[in-house]
Amino acid sequence: MTATTAPEAALGVLPRSDGSAKYSHAGYTVTASVNGPIEAQRRDEHAYEAHVDVIVRPAAGVGGTRERHLEALLQASLSQLILVKNFPRSLIQIVLQVEDSPENDYVNTKLVQASLNFAIMPALMQTAVLALLSAGVPMRATATATAVAVVHQDGAKRTIVEPSPREIETAESVHALAFTSHGGLLLAESEGDFTVKEWDDLYETAKGICCRSAPAKEGMAMVLDDEESAGTDMRQFLRSTMESKVAADLHWK
Amino acid sequence: MATERPLVLPGETIDPSLIPSHPKNPLRLGPGLRHIPPTDIVPTVAGQLITNPAKNSMWIEYNSNRYIPSPNDVLLAQILRSTTDFYLCTISPHTAPATLPHLAFESATKKTRPVLLPGQLVYARVTLANKHMDPELECVSATTGKAEGLGPITGPGCVFDVSLGFARRLLMARSREDGGVGVLEMLGGEEGGGLAFETAVGRNGKVWVGSESARTVVLVGRALQETDRGGLGVEGQRRLVKRLVREMR
Repeated sequence: MTATTAPEAALGVLPRSDGSAKYSHAGYTVTASVNGPIEAQRRDEHAYEAHVDVIVRPAAGVGGTRERHLEALLQASLSQLILVKNFPRSLIQIVLQVEDSPENDYVNTKLVQASLNFAIMPALMQTAVLALLSAGVPMRATATATAVAVVHQDGAKRTIVEPSPREIETAESVHALAFTSHGGLLLAESEGDFTVKEWDDLYETAKGICCRSAPAKEGMAMVLDDEESAGTDMRQFLRSTMESKVAADLHWK
Repeated sequence: MATERPLVLPGETIDPSLIPSHPKNPLRLGPGLRHIPPTDIVPTVAGQLITNPAKNSMWIEYNSNRYIPSPNDVLLAQILRSTTDFYLCTISPHTAPATLPHLAFESATKKTRPVLLPGQLVYARVTLANKHMDPELECVSATTGKAEGLGPITGPGCVFDVSLGFARRLLMARSREDGGVGVLEMLGGEEGGGLAFETAVGRNGKVWVGSESARTVVLVGRALQETDRGGLGVEGQRRLVKRLVREMR
């Protein structure tokens, strides 16, 4: 359950769905399936764009208010990524099943309305993007996400990337940020007390993790020397995952 | 090799040196690319960027499971029901049905149109694919008025689902050389002991296998599905065919 573990992903784990992905990072394991574009129900139908339906299922029990909130946030972000105008009157369904989380879900199944958990947001976001890529749903860009917490330690403020549940309990504020592959801010959700200065700092930290510029082929060594900040390079991870998937699909070429 | 077919992700910029430029022919964009006027060409799916300077065309090669209709694709459709002027056909699950006019068959008139029952299969070509309208199919060539292999599928057989990329490889004119699929040739050739069967491959990821013998149908269908899911090369396909034929005896 350490936050320093490298992310892992497998694509196409569910053979019956159009696209699927299993992703584990920072103690969270999420499996996603994507179906679409399919026929939308009458009430979800939109005349000019596809309806993106996100369903979050917790590790134990049925989803509650917290899941609905996460779904609403993800739905708004993913609709920005997917080319929804290409598929009017249709539905793109994304189901995210949380399989494992660092806190013990079996004890704390009763979710209080006010209890938020933004630490799970990056895992959900990343899994959804991987599953969409696996399904070949046309998208405007890809996205990477991370969670950051600000803790008060020894009289000084410190930012922690991908905090553990224990760190979240003691943290002053928790933030979930997602960036598109163009470097634009896609999602920023914060909880707790923080100053604008703190937010600016953690924004830079999160951007460093999510949007590290891909090393150019000729100057690779130089770029690697420059970048020695903590955390995994999410963009590179996404790329290498897709690289192996595409190579497996097109082995006959 | 890797530099010729780079991996692209949605929204990435394509190196301008890779875009083919021809002095006269217009640039043709295939699946997976979109043009944002005036000058941007952006991929929308993850895959390999393939360019063909001779035809001044470029597209993204990728594999998926959900068929999105595009004109001139041949596909395997199932009749859902009939209305006064056309049949409604299913081309992929949970999507809006495609329309197939009653008169879009070879030498069909108001009086002599083929009567198709719900559940029957047709091998058809997409004539109209528009995001705002349901797709439209035909079983006759509009220019020659001949069926050209399209039409209702009759005889004993069964439909098998494969991935869209595999269906595309099967439909290639030289599928063994270009697509790396020789499994059908092998089953009908000496490796398979000369099995007698016929196939119809739809671009929508459906393959109909027909034969008088139910065993042959199941064997050919399984061979196709295992080749697709296992990602077998030509040598792997040969071993698979030998194993399946041995098991069948």
